[in-house]
Amino acid sequence: MKLAIATTAAAAALLLSGCATKNDAKYVDSQGPNTIVSLNQINIQDWNNAADKLVASLLASGVLERAPELPAVMAISRIRNNTQQQVDTDNLTKKIRIALNQTGKVVTTTTLGADGKVEDAVAADVGAMQSFMAGEKQKTVLPYYTLSGKLLEDRVSSGSTKQVTYTFQLSLTTTKNGLAVWEGEEQITKQGQRSSVGW
Amino acid sequence: MKLLVVSAALVAALLATGCATSVNTVSRAQPQATPNYVADQRVITDSTLGRKVGIVSVNDAKVSGDLLKIQVTLENKSSKPQAFTYKFDWVGQDGMELSGPTGGWKQIQLEGREVRAVSAIATSPKAVDFRLKLREN
Repeated sequence: MKLAIATTAAAAALLLSGCATKNDAKYVDSQGPNTIVSLNQINIQDWNNAADKLVASLLASGVLERAPELPAVMAISRIRNNTQQQVDTDNLTKKIRIALNQTGKVVTTTTLGADGKVEDAVAADVGAMQSFMAGEKQKTVLPYYTLSGKLLEDRVSSGSTKQVTYTFQLSLTTTKNGLAVWEGEEQITKQGQRSSVGW
Repeated sequence: MKLLVVSAALVAALLATGCATSVNTVSRAQPQATPNYVADQRVITDSTLGRKVGIVSVNDAKVSGDLLKIQVTLENKSSKPQAFTYKFDWVGQDGMELSGPTGGWKQIQLEGREVRAVSAIATSPKAVDFRLKLREN
C-alpha cells in the first residue's frame, strides 16, 4: 500500500513538474546555439554570422569615415541571389543597415532603390507633395554610397556526406566615381548527412 | 595472443597516423606589434572547458573613429581539436548591456595546441566594456 502511494506521488510530482516530451514546441534564442542547422537552406544563424562578419570587416576598413559628411547616405542596390533557394536578401542587408545605423556613420535612404523599386513609397510621395505645396523643386538626397552584392551556393557530396557552402559577397561603392571602396566576402560551409539541432 | 598482437598493431598504426592533429607555428622572434593589452577578470564555471581552452591575452583598439574593438587570443591546451561557441556582449558607460542586430553565438574550432584570436567590433559608440562568453558544444 505504502509503495503504491509513493509511486502515485512520484508520478504526480513528475506530471506537475512538467516533463516535456522531446517533440514539444519551445522557444529558443534566435542568436543562440540551439537553433536548427540544415543543409538545404541558409539558416538564421548563417545570415547572422555573415552579417556580423561583413559589418566587422566594413567597420575595420575605416572607409566610412572618409565620407565628406557623416552620417553618409547609403542606398541598397541589387543583391543577386544565385543560390538554388528563394531567399529574401533583407535577411542580410537589414542587419547590416541596422548595425551601420547604430554606428552613427551611415543612414540608409528608403526612397531610392534598385530598378526604381522604392522601399518606402509613402515617404517618396510625401516628399514630392511637400515640395509641390511649397512651390519648390523636389530635393532628393542622393546617396554617397550604394551597397550591392551576390549570394552564391556550392554543393558537393562524398558518399552519404553532403557539403554546402554559401558565399555572401558585398561591395560598397561611392556613387561619385563608381569605385568600390570596400568589398567583403564571407563563406559559411556546412557538412553532414542530415539536418540537426545545435552547432 | 594473436588478438593481442593485432590490437597492439592497430594502436601503433593509429598513433602513427596522428589522430591528434596539433598545429606547428612560426612567427617573428621580436614582434613589431604593440597591442594595447586589457587587464581582465575571468569567471570559470565550466572547469572542463577551462582546462581545454585557455585565454592568452585580451587587447582592445578603436576602429572607425569611436568603435570599440576587442580581440581575445585563445589557446587550445590539448592536442585534440576543440570546437566551442563564443559570444561577445557589449556594455555602455551606464552599465547597461547594449543590444544589436549582430553578435550572436558563433562557432569556432581550434586545432590541437592552436593559438587563435577571436574579435568583435561594437556597432555602438556607446560601448565601453565587453564580456566574452565561451561555451562547450
